Amino acid sequence: MARITKSQREIERLLWRAGFGPRPHEAANLARRGRRATVEDLLRPRGRQVGGRPPRVEGAPLDPVNRWGHDALWWLDRAVRTRQPLAERMTLNWHDHWATSNQKVGDTKLMMQYYWALRTHSLGRFRTLAHAMLDNHAMQVWLDLTGSEKSAPNENFARELLELFTLGVNNGYTEKDIREAARAFTGFTRDWPSKKFGFDTARHDDGMKTVLGKRGRWKPHDIIDIAIDDPHHAPFLVTKLWGYFTPRPPSRRFVREMARTYRAARTDVRPVLRMILNHPAIYADLSSPDFVKPPVVFVAGMLRSLNRTVTDGSWSWMMGQMGQVPFYPPNVAGWPSNAEWMSAASARARFQAGSHVIEGWVKEGSVSAKQSPKAALAAARKACGDPVLTPLTSAVLARYAVRSVAGRTDDWEIKHYFPERQRVLRHLILAGPDAQVC
Amino acid sequence: MTDPRQVRGCQDHKFTRRALARASAKAVPIPAEALDGLDRFARDGGLTRRDAMKGGAGMVLMCAAAATLTPRSVMEAAAAQQAQAPDAPILVSLYLDGGNDGLNTLVPVADAQYRALRGPLALGDGTVALKDTNQFRWHPSLGKLAQLYDQGKVAVLPAVDYANPDQSHFNSVAYWRTGVVGPSQELTGWLGRTMDVLGAPDNPLQAVSISGDLDPVLRSRKAPVGSVYDPGAFDFWIPEVWGKGFDAAYREASRGRAKGGMKASRDAYANAFRMVDMLQPLKVDKEHPLPPTPVAYPDTDLGRDLRSAARIMGAGFGTRVVAVSTGGYDTHDDQLAEHADLLSDLSESLWAFQADIDARGLAQRVLVMIWSEFGRRPKANGTGTDHGAGGLLMLVGNRANGGIRSEFPGLSRLDDDDNLLVTTEFRTVYSSLLEQFMGVEAGRVLPAIDGARIPLVR
Repeated sequence: MARITKSQREIERLLWRAGFGPRPHEAANLARRGRRATVEDLLRPRGRQVGGRPPRVEGAPLDPVNRWGHDALWWLDRAVRTRQPLAERMTLNWHDHWATSNQKVGDTKLMMQYYWALRTHSLGRFRTLAHAMLDNHAMQVWLDLTGSEKSAPNENFARELLELFTLGVNNGYTEKDIREAARAFTGFTRDWPSKKFGFDTARHDDGMKTVLGKRGRWKPHDIIDIAIDDPHHAPFLVTKLWGYFTPRPPSRRFVREMARTYRAARTDVRPVLRMILNHPAIYADLSSPDFVKPPVVFVAGMLRSLNRTVTDGSWSWMMGQMGQVPFYPPNVAGWPSNAEWMSAASARARFQAGSHVIEGWVKEGSVSAKQSPKAALAAARKACGDPVLTPLTSAVLARYAVRSVAGRTDDWEIKHYFPERQRVLRHLILAGPDAQVC
Repeated sequence: MTDPRQVRGCQDHKFTRRALARASAKAVPIPAEALDGLDRFARDGGLTRRDAMKGGAGMVLMCAAAATLTPRSVMEAAAAQQAQAPDAPILVSLYLDGGNDGLNTLVPVADAQYRALRGPLALGDGTVALKDTNQFRWHPSLGKLAQLYDQGKVAVLPAVDYANPDQSHFNSVAYWRTGVVGPSQELTGWLGRTMDVLGAPDNPLQAVSISGDLDPVLRSRKAPVGSVYDPGAFDFWIPEVWGKGFDAAYREASRGRAKGGMKASRDAYANAFRMVDMLQPLKVDKEHPLPPTPVAYPDTDLGRDLRSAARIMGAGFGTRVVAVSTGGYDTHDDQLAEHADLLSDLSESLWAFQADIDARGLAQRVLVMIWSEFGRRPKANGTGTDHGAGGLLMLVGNRANGGIRSEFPGLSRLDDDDNLLVTTEFRTVYSSLLEQFMGVEAGRVLPAIDGARIPLVR
């Protein structure tokens, strides 16, 4: 097997952190193009958003609106077939940032519109995305904007806007700012029988409000601008963006540089993403990765590395057991991250995911008794896209490759146990402890 | 007036993600071949009454015996925990998913408004008397629960909720699970945080949810906790792989030192395989059928889950907290028939469970807390009821302080949404249980908890 170069390992790291992992041969091809050029490609996606044909699940096309579980499968499929990995990954990151759950919204069509709002603005101006979120009907239901009226302003959206979406917890605002902002957000309506959303000026509080030191007859969209223009916003947002790509804290100086860049680009996130994705921290410790893949990334990445698509419904509940179902974040603060993903229960679910892809892959009698342990391991690594393995896992695999067929000489044993060795090697490569991190 | 939001919330509710996950988990059994060829070291961890009478050491001995046949370290954590506290109390959280109709569970027959508000749903015939009060009668399906009540083993608290109750399933259940009222970013559950205080660093069976995915009420910050869908078939399995060599390989690959995310990944796998070892004695197959129980459990999901809970609690794993949930309580329509079936299942399952843990010598240690995210609106909507407030909370077990233990506000005065007034905050129940039963200072688990307590435990 060809030796894997450092630049290829860097591309792999980049594709895991900024996308859903490499497809077969993708890292080798992109390594020739170079890392910086690849970052630029990721930042400026062109052409089709997804490749290949839409999958069929249990014999029929995905039906995200009408079939239970298919909404999550639909999102997973977008990730698996994406040809614009960073745009798609940022869509998932924004889903975490602007976390909205169908558990409360209860209308998958609205959630699909929410997806498209995130996807459309995933690599653009944060300000534009924020305004789109305020206008988004799923968000309006989720944070109780609809129905909030001047006699009883609901503070839910106002609070989360400042606390989670733009400034950060206890970062430069007061309870009074929340109450005043909530007044500005009154007037949104939803007519339940017709499912129509609207804005009723008679229910809107058009009085003077003071929010973050600015006084005026603020309307809903004014508050978005006021929050984004606040000096606390840029450092908060760029730090949050950084955290989606590496578990290491950024230096204060780098946060300042990112914030300056973000302001200069008038809240366009691409220049900041460029800084992050070219930062040495992303490529540190290539041989001992330490960032846990979110479940959606783990599953999509596994299918991508095998050139497979979403072909059955089990992924929906398996992602649930791993702790991440797209369209269903646990609360408005989004999902956990890094080490928080891993528990005995989620490890078992990730193991099960490995078993799911192993099923039916290596046929009985398909492996020769002449295959040496070394060749067996090489074949398994190649079949799985040759991902990074720690020295510990490599040693374990090598020992298993010897042990598993020792003394298996009868015909029936060869017919079964040599393929079995392949199954186990591949399972451990695809779903073992190393496969959970990138 | 019916709030359309609630109708929407409820249609949605029948197909919650968790319900779907539960259903799916059922559809993927572990095949029999995965169970073959395994060394086993005990038939079943459930202790008989005679075992228990030999002394409190019975459960510890079982673990010690197990330790000679499995990697010693694996069992030591649980055995040590168990040995330190062989009589440690075990709290079972039983969640009635959907919003149980407390008013038709413990029926306020003496309240003049009840019949008028409930109309065709009003219960009368067949309801069961309580020995110490004429204020309430039990739903006709709850004969067995009524017997437990008359034995002094059931504490009931009508009208438990929180101030300004939220009638969304999503919000309300999140508050109950986290123990934090109002929007919050809390990801841990109150029982998970209890384990952060009480638990060992290496025993994932100290807190168990009987489910495929972990019950959010058990999510902890640091203490390992586990979810077990079926303790009789908890194993790792790869299709068309007969040998157990993969098992050893996985364990070896989870053992090395690491930091950050890699450490988390290896630790999680190590804990998961530890659970496999611990649950070996509970395995069920042809040669090791499910051991009989003194009273047969109903053949229902709830019956099966409570039986699983009893088996795990009886096996000496040092289990302190168990979470079970059962669905279907969102009775917007056809309530008379549906609710009768649900409560019959609940009553029969609890009856069998109580007999089971008694035979296992656990009856003095186990308390079941039965809760729901809210009660239902006093005024019926036709054939069903909409989301309300002030739900019914019950504690079942030998140590429950049996009787009516909170104030019932009556139906003549309702809140602004025409719901039952809330007389008792659920966090008061939690803090009372933490301090009177679990031996944990409530403030360590529940942020900003006040000093109100109710005597709930004997």
